[in-house]
Amino acid sequence: MRDEDIIVLQEPKLSPAERLYLPQIFDGMVTTLRHMFSLKRRQQVVRQYPEDTRQGRGELRIANYRGVHRLNKDAEGRVACVACFMCSTACPAHCIHIEAGESPWPDREKYPVKFEIDELRCIYCGMCEEACPVDAIELTPHYELVGRTREEMIFDKEKLLQVFEETKHTKPRKDPPITDYGLTGGQGKDVASPNVERKV
Amino acid sequence: MAGLLTIILALGAVGLFLALPGGQARAVRAGQIGLAASGVGLLAATLGWLFPWPGANFFAGCALVALFAAVRVITHPRPVYSALYFVLLILAAAALLVQMQAEFLAAALVIVYAGAILVTYVFVIMLAQQARPLVHDIRSHEPLLGCLAGFLLLWSIAVRLFAAPVPPAVPAADLPAAGTVAAVGTSLLTTYVIAMQLAGLLLLAALVGAIAIARRRPLRDPLLEGEE
Amino acid sequence: MTNQTIQRVEGALRNPLVLVGVGAVLTVPAALVLVLAFPLYRGLLSDPFWFPLLVMAAVLFLILNATAVCILAERKIAGFTQDRYGPNRVGFWGLLQPVADGLKFLLKEDIIPRRVDKPLFLLAPCLALIVSLVGFAVIPWAGEVHWPWMEAGTTVSTQVARLDIGILYVIAVGSLGVYGLVLAGYASNNKYSFYGGLRATAQMISYELPLGLALLCVLLTTGTLRLEEIVNQQAHSGVWYVFVHPLAFLLIVICLFAETNRAPFDLPEAEQELVGGYHTEYSAMKFALFFLAEYAHMITGSAVAIALFLGGWAPLPFTSWLADNTAWWAMLLKFGVYLLKVALFIGVMMWVRWTIPRFRFDQLMRLAWRSLVPLGLLLMAAVAVLTLFGGQRVWWAGLGVNVLVLLGVLWWAARSKQPMTGRQEDLPPVEFGAM
Repeated sequence: MRDEDIIVLQEPKLSPAERLYLPQIFDGMVTTLRHMFSLKRRQQVVRQYPEDTRQGRGELRIANYRGVHRLNKDAEGRVACVACFMCSTACPAHCIHIEAGESPWPDREKYPVKFEIDELRCIYCGMCEEACPVDAIELTPHYELVGRTREEMIFDKEKLLQVFEETKHTKPRKDPPITDYGLTGGQGKDVASPNVERKV
Repeated sequence: MAGLLTIILALGAVGLFLALPGGQARAVRAGQIGLAASGVGLLAATLGWLFPWPGANFFAGCALVALFAAVRVITHPRPVYSALYFVLLILAAAALLVQMQAEFLAAALVIVYAGAILVTYVFVIMLAQQARPLVHDIRSHEPLLGCLAGFLLLWSIAVRLFAAPVPPAVPAADLPAAGTVAAVGTSLLTTYVIAMQLAGLLLLAALVGAIAIARRRPLRDPLLEGEE
Repeated sequence: MTNQTIQRVEGALRNPLVLVGVGAVLTVPAALVLVLAFPLYRGLLSDPFWFPLLVMAAVLFLILNATAVCILAERKIAGFTQDRYGPNRVGFWGLLQPVADGLKFLLKEDIIPRRVDKPLFLLAPCLALIVSLVGFAVIPWAGEVHWPWMEAGTTVSTQVARLDIGILYVIAVGSLGVYGLVLAGYASNNKYSFYGGLRATAQMISYELPLGLALLCVLLTTGTLRLEEIVNQQAHSGVWYVFVHPLAFLLIVICLFAETNRAPFDLPEAEQELVGGYHTEYSAMKFALFFLAEYAHMITGSAVAIALFLGGWAPLPFTSWLADNTAWWAMLLKFGVYLLKVALFIGVMMWVRWTIPRFRFDQLMRLAWRSLVPLGLLLMAAVAVLTLFGGQRVWWAGLGVNVLVLLGVLWWAARSKQPMTGRQEDLPPVEFGAM
């Protein structure tokens, strides 16, 4: 670093009134007073949550909001997951637990016998969604997630598939749904069942 | 009367000596009993004086609290508690002063001692707090000499005081308003004006001295000087 | 109760009419009992010993409830300044929020951490609350009152303790207020609490000095320490002392903020730096006691400032209206005026809290020792000289002195090269002087 690079800043000169600090305080108080009585601004800015939601106002970006997870079903209604463990590997919070089993279907080797996500440990970063090679796990715009016990908040496969059923109308599955290592040339097919055309 | 007082005070002194931190637990217990007996005895011996007063019960109660707090100040092994008992002592003493119509003195005592000096004490004690109690916290220093000196002081005052005749009872309303702010102020600025000015001068000198001690000097860093 | 019942009750309470109805059901019987039992306690009202006690009970009741309302007001004001609504769910317009808060505090688990100093840990919140409540004893709430059934010319006082040392009592009690905070910080056995306690000590000791100096300015004018006489003087002459000593009033207000640990002086509990400061380890009702103490302290402090500078119970400046009226309705009016003034004062304190950011600790100390103490000394000297030359006979003489002092300070500020806004100064590396 050379001397020319150094910029010496001078403190701005303060007027006597500014040095006393008090006029500035009164200025600030006038500002807050203005805000205190600006009912209109308040009404514009504040969402009265349970009644008035972002979704209701159409402000929620459904495509990229990261709420509760879902497990997608393919066109034949089977779970799309191929139990590759990519999501649980990518998960920074270690909240995905998968147990793989031999697939009963001929078009894939494995399928998840057990698929559990601890929604209390999850940090909703969306890494699982990015890691999934078959677009089976996705985050939905559903954010009102409550439960009475911790056990209740561990979502198993059935519950995650249920979430898909509930949200598939507001957020349809991606089209084309595949990142299939180039097997189908990026056509609108599930890698699990390459011969079935997907009905959107 | 003087003999009785001597016995009571001697009992108190022995009790205090035993109760001071650093001794055997049983001796401490005995010392506490001795101290309590001494305090109650002192009160009983002075009741003859106190009784004509209005509010003597309250006075006696405050006096006992003050005595208890004073003993705890020097016998408690933890400095923070000692300082807090000192605060209690100050408050009890202020209550005694209020009983004697010296309201201004009471307020001044509380403001100066409890409000300023002891807060600073507590502050310093907390800052200098050690993980383990130190030797001078759990063992008292020269307990024998201390108790002896205290006993002699109290004894001389008490004997002198009780040698005087018992004053006649005065109803509270007739007491001279010597404790009011106006009276204290007037006497400070007339009778005791020189003493007050001298005290002010002394405090000023102390202030200057404190600043001189606390002043920070620029550090001479040998490494920095070597560079130039 | 099932969820549906709770929801139904909650919904009903959000209807203002229902709320008024519930309030009426609760208060009307009490009022009826008070009216019907009037002959029974008539004698107490005119008794010079019992009447102040009754006033004390009433005021204590009022203050402890006002604290709950204050918390709601604070949250509302915080919301409004930040373009929010504040609490608006419990009851109509959030009016039942204090009840919900209180219930929550009562029902929460009261945790005493294992390694705290237990006696001091329990003592600290009590001390904080006691100290902030006993200050009420000397506030002259509504002057003297003459009940119709009393002998002509006799009155009873609404002031609990008519002490000769008046304002000194307030200072003495107030100076004990620091112990609650310090002990809480020490007993918690937590370094952040401890820092909070240390900060509280340093801050309160520092700001007591300018407070005392500013008080002296007023006392030089009043010539008495009795709060009731100070208020009487203002009510009779109509000249409130804020017009005579505006700068002293400013000093007192600033010191009041510091003594009550309110923003911008809330360093002992600075959430961003010290978790919660001295009350980090406290939970449930003990935490609530600290809260209560803070608001009770605010109410005491503003009541004293109002008695000294804003005419106490006097309703209007520059008139002596009501000054000599001792009728019972006048007493109620005066009481109302006093409470209104206190409410406004506290409103301003909240308004300031949500406007001004917190000071840094070195700025806090610099403000006290380099600005407020010199200003206080200057003011006191000026007022003393004025008093010596008999300048107190006209009220605007004090105002003139204040203007002169202000002009002097401005002149000095214009000449001074040192930044006064508290920007960090470059300090050379230092060592402590030889001990």
